[in-house]
Amino acid sequence: MRADRFDFRRVDFPGRGPLLVFAGLLLIVIALKQGFSAFDLRSLCVNAAPLALIALGQFVIVLGRGIDLSLGPIASVCGAVMALTVTDHPLLGIAGPILIGLAAGLANGLPVARLGLPPIIVTLATMSIWQGMALLVMPDPGGNVPAAYQAALTGGFSEPFLGVAGLIVFCLAAGWMLRTRFGLHLRALGGDEASARLSGVRVAHVKLGAYVVGGLLAALGGMYLAVATSSGSPTVGDSYILTSIAAVVIGGVPLSGGRGSALGVVMGALILTITGSLLYFADVSSFYQSIIDGVILLAVVGSRSTWDWIRDISGRTSWPSRTGRAS
Amino acid sequence: MAVTDRASIVTEPKAPTRRRFPATAPVLLLVLTAILLGVGEIMAPGFASSDNMLQLLKLSSFLGIAAIGQTIVMLTGGIDLSIAWVITGSAAVFTANCDGQDANVPIAAALALGLGLLVGLVNGFGVVKLKISPIVMTLAMNNIMLGATLVYTGGTPSGGSGPLVRALATGNLFGVVPAMVILWCLLAALAIIGVRWTRGGRKLLAVGENPRVSFLTGIDNDRVTIAAYAVSGIGAALTGILFAAFSGATFLGMGDQFVLPTIAAVVLGGTSMFGGRGGYGGTVAAVIFTTLLTTVLVIGSIPQGVRSIVYGFAVLTAIIAQRLLTRRDDLTQ
Repeated sequence: MRADRFDFRRVDFPGRGPLLVFAGLLLIVIALKQGFSAFDLRSLCVNAAPLALIALGQFVIVLGRGIDLSLGPIASVCGAVMALTVTDHPLLGIAGPILIGLAAGLANGLPVARLGLPPIIVTLATMSIWQGMALLVMPDPGGNVPAAYQAALTGGFSEPFLGVAGLIVFCLAAGWMLRTRFGLHLRALGGDEASARLSGVRVAHVKLGAYVVGGLLAALGGMYLAVATSSGSPTVGDSYILTSIAAVVIGGVPLSGGRGSALGVVMGALILTITGSLLYFADVSSFYQSIIDGVILLAVVGSRSTWDWIRDISGRTSWPSRTGRAS
Repeated sequence: MAVTDRASIVTEPKAPTRRRFPATAPVLLLVLTAILLGVGEIMAPGFASSDNMLQLLKLSSFLGIAAIGQTIVMLTGGIDLSIAWVITGSAAVFTANCDGQDANVPIAAALALGLGLLVGLVNGFGVVKLKISPIVMTLAMNNIMLGATLVYTGGTPSGGSGPLVRALATGNLFGVVPAMVILWCLLAALAIIGVRWTRGGRKLLAVGENPRVSFLTGIDNDRVTIAAYAVSGIGAALTGILFAAFSGATFLGMGDQFVLPTIAAVVLGGTSMFGGRGGYGGTVAAVIFTTLLTTVLVIGSIPQGVRSIVYGFAVLTAIIAQRLLTRRDDLTQ
């Protein structure tokens, strides 16, 4: 019976593409290394987790057709505050960074949602502000997070369970959020703002909410980093400014908003993390890592349109679309 | 009689439409710049002297040249994040091939500028033909150039620029005016005239304003957009060559400090993020303003953290002020 045969092409779910890409890269790593220990799994997940959190924050904002360049520096500030305070005042050390993240998201969201300013330039300004704040809070890397936090969050060095569970929890929590009324409204406004407004979505509120959730997730990402490294650093988040956007895009989310899945974004973070080990085990200089990342990014967003272009190149005259726009 | 009647109807003046003053942003910035100069003069007497102002202009010129391409790309409604590593990469190519000899300058400069042109063309091709969003396309190219530069230099850029280029980047002409300032003035004039008064510039503004209308007018949108990214690539490469000559050597990451300031300068200068409106004149004012702001904070020995916060608030305040001043105009967009 034809219909009984299992056909993977029919199994479609959001985030399937990035999941397959990640699975492929993982298989290559396993083949090169001829094995994959619990320690490897643990470090992969724990290294990917902060990026996954910050990228999920970016994802929520991108869903509403926004973008946020300040998430990385927000993570720096929150991680630094946690590393400085949590040893002496556990409650302050945990609640403080979360409140900072919420406030930072609010500060990003208000000019965008209320004044209609372009998000890229607003968050460019707040990026600079939070980078400065991080340097004021903690001029040099330092601080301390008790080892108990690390054990509770990431497990022992060869104990992969908590790391994997963390990523699954992020997926489920973000997936659940997209199904709430807020998530539905957010996807609606990302798909078509004018229609969403006419359907009764309070566009400004929802946009503001997206930036606040983004700030919160960036704060959690910064705290995860602080716990995993037992310290803080004023510049640790800077590398996430653009990688968080890359992870979202590799995760199959268009920057034009409205579509995408949490699973895809977490896979995007895992893909960007595993390329490092891939090169290491393939015995290739780590200099090539950013080339690979760039090529993966282009391959993910450009493969289909490249085929279209090659097919069209003989007989064309297409109607110009409004592509070529930054936001 | 009837004819004159009809003519009078046709020529009857329409109700005056309120048009905002076209150069709000640059004028606002020049006023702020003057205030900053005053503050600088109070903090360090001699700050507003013509000599020091020329030095400030020289400092601004590198960011200014990098911002030419960013302005042109943003006029199409795009953005170029790849200039960071195009600057570093072309500087590395230039210094390695030049190796401190004037005789090697033409070939080294040609290679570096060719690299910038190539990256620009690839960016434009991806944005236009493959319909990849400009942020993603130029971000990916930036990553690729980062890796390519690391591989090319093996992690340590070598060589140096010829004395001639070094003189251009650091020296003065006629004993007083820095050569960089003159070069910047020439390029700025070229960019302003090119955008405002040439056929290519008109096409650029048309594509940025409304790609469908420009397409129906017979403009080859794709070619215009690709050309814009190509100009940005060449501009970034030129910045890389000059900045490497100015610094004495290429260092990795030297281009990172240019990306976001160029975007901030373009937007502060009144160019719309959505394309079609603005020009390089406003960008020049914004580049001078932001450089002056940083300099005043440095001479006030303000720590870097506070400088960065003040810079962020200045950008934020300026765009909010612009939006509030031009709100009426934007409602009709």
